[in-house]
Amino acid sequence: MTPSEGTRQNLRELRDTAAELWWRFFDWLAVVPWKTLAIVSILVMILGGILQSPEPFIILIIASFIIKAVAGGKHSAELRASQALQRAEKEGLERTAAEAHLAALQAQIEPHFLFNTLASIDQLILTDPPRASRMQQSLIRYLRSAMPRMRDGERPTLGQQLELSRAFLEIMAVRMEERLQVAVGVPEGLRSAAFPSMMLQTLVENAIRHGLEPKAGGGRLEIGAEIVDGRLAVHVKDDGVGFSPKAGGGVGLANIRERLKAMHRGRAELVVSVPAEGGTCATILVPYEVAAPRG
Amino acid sequence: MHEERTPTAVVADDERLMREQIVSRLKEAWPELAVVGEAANGREAVALVRSREPDIAFLDIRMPEMDGIEAARAIAGAAHVVFVTAYDEYAIRAFDEGAVDYLLKPADPERVALACRRLRERLGAQPPAMDALLAELSRRLAGGGTARREYLRWVQASVGAAIRMIPTADILFFRAEDKYTRVRTEGFEALIRKPIKELAEELDPDEFWQIHRATLVRVDAVEQVGRDARGHQVVTVKGSPEKLEVSRSFSHRFRQM
Repeated sequence: MTPSEGTRQNLRELRDTAAELWWRFFDWLAVVPWKTLAIVSILVMILGGILQSPEPFIILIIASFIIKAVAGGKHSAELRASQALQRAEKEGLERTAAEAHLAALQAQIEPHFLFNTLASIDQLILTDPPRASRMQQSLIRYLRSAMPRMRDGERPTLGQQLELSRAFLEIMAVRMEERLQVAVGVPEGLRSAAFPSMMLQTLVENAIRHGLEPKAGGGRLEIGAEIVDGRLAVHVKDDGVGFSPKAGGGVGLANIRERLKAMHRGRAELVVSVPAEGGTCATILVPYEVAAPRG
Repeated sequence: MHEERTPTAVVADDERLMREQIVSRLKEAWPELAVVGEAANGREAVALVRSREPDIAFLDIRMPEMDGIEAARAIAGAAHVVFVTAYDEYAIRAFDEGAVDYLLKPADPERVALACRRLRERLGAQPPAMDALLAELSRRLAGGGTARREYLRWVQASVGAAIRMIPTADILFFRAEDKYTRVRTEGFEALIRKPIKELAEELDPDEFWQIHRATLVRVDAVEQVGRDARGHQVVTVKGSPEKLEVSRSFSHRFRQM
């Protein structure tokens, strides 16, 4: 470091310190009550009297009063802005907390599914042990990925969500046998796309529980994904008994709608449609983003 | 003569593995019992009971077409019923009175043996009346509490070429227009065939208010209540520039607002 460089740096530091002191004084002026300012002014005048040169002090005091009159408004505006910011941050946090709560609710494992599956495994242990083992593996994979994961900030991908639903569908295929046909059409390239947790699974469970299980002959379930106008569209379609317009008890869909709203405001949505051939098709549209790999 | 007849049963469950399980547990617990038929849904179960006239029917509660409770109602008096379920916490408590038995899946061999002992004692007698129990079961399965009215939560509408189910929470208002009813959401408009009068009956009256013979508005979407140039009371909703007239017979609804 050359001497001139050192001087320049010292000067810069001095200027920064002066500026900081000035803004601190400015801020103090803006918030200090008029009464306090008046008392301080009198004290400064007395100090000026003692020092026998009151003029600079009088100028300082007059300047302070002018600055206070002007800056007070600016400051209160800043205060309001910062309060609004804090409020927005708090709302953002509340939204995130609400979203986490909703996600946890969605991740709850349906007891009926769990006990029926365990009963099937129990029966297969006697009649077809290798198959029992495979089914139990599927159940373990399903349970592991369905457990809510709050701690890591990793964004779930469509690929992960698909694996979870695949494990679930493998179980259902053993239980429902020829009553369930599954077709998955998700391009390899879309598996790394970010996709909220448990939403695909909710649609799949709905299709089975409300669409295909109530139908004596069962039917077909199709999962597909594509990019539509820059958004990732993931659909679950079944040719089951059809959607009930009084499905108010179905908290699953309401939950998905709430979560999409909380996460993406107006940029994500759930669309439920009735295919021409009957049944139900539910599509979730979210902004297409590749989940950043963790380094 | 009658006592020597082989006791018979039918087993109904929509999953084959579950039927297999019940059948094999019954074989262990009660070797003389002959399973004379298996059904994969409630309707088949009822048909089987009518054709085979078994002494006992094992009925899964959740089955397609017709659930176990409806099936039990249909075969009342024709056979002794044992319900089978994987998990129905609310429903199970209804059995505590004891006239009708139930089994949980996976079927525990000791519990199946107990059910079989009870059945043997009852076989000579008429199957008990189940009306009260079935009513209680239906009530519990419907929601576990008091029977709440189910309101319309989705409206089926044509949007472009597709038929969509629109959640009522997204709908701003319904308006009668010629033969159709216009549905307005923040994002789009659609026409449905269901008349306002029917909608008014099916929608939750706390969610939608009728403000005019031709108009139903979602209460939460109401932004402003004012008057137009002619002095008529009008309502505006969030996300739509339209002013909706309130007819005099409905204007009292906004007095407290």
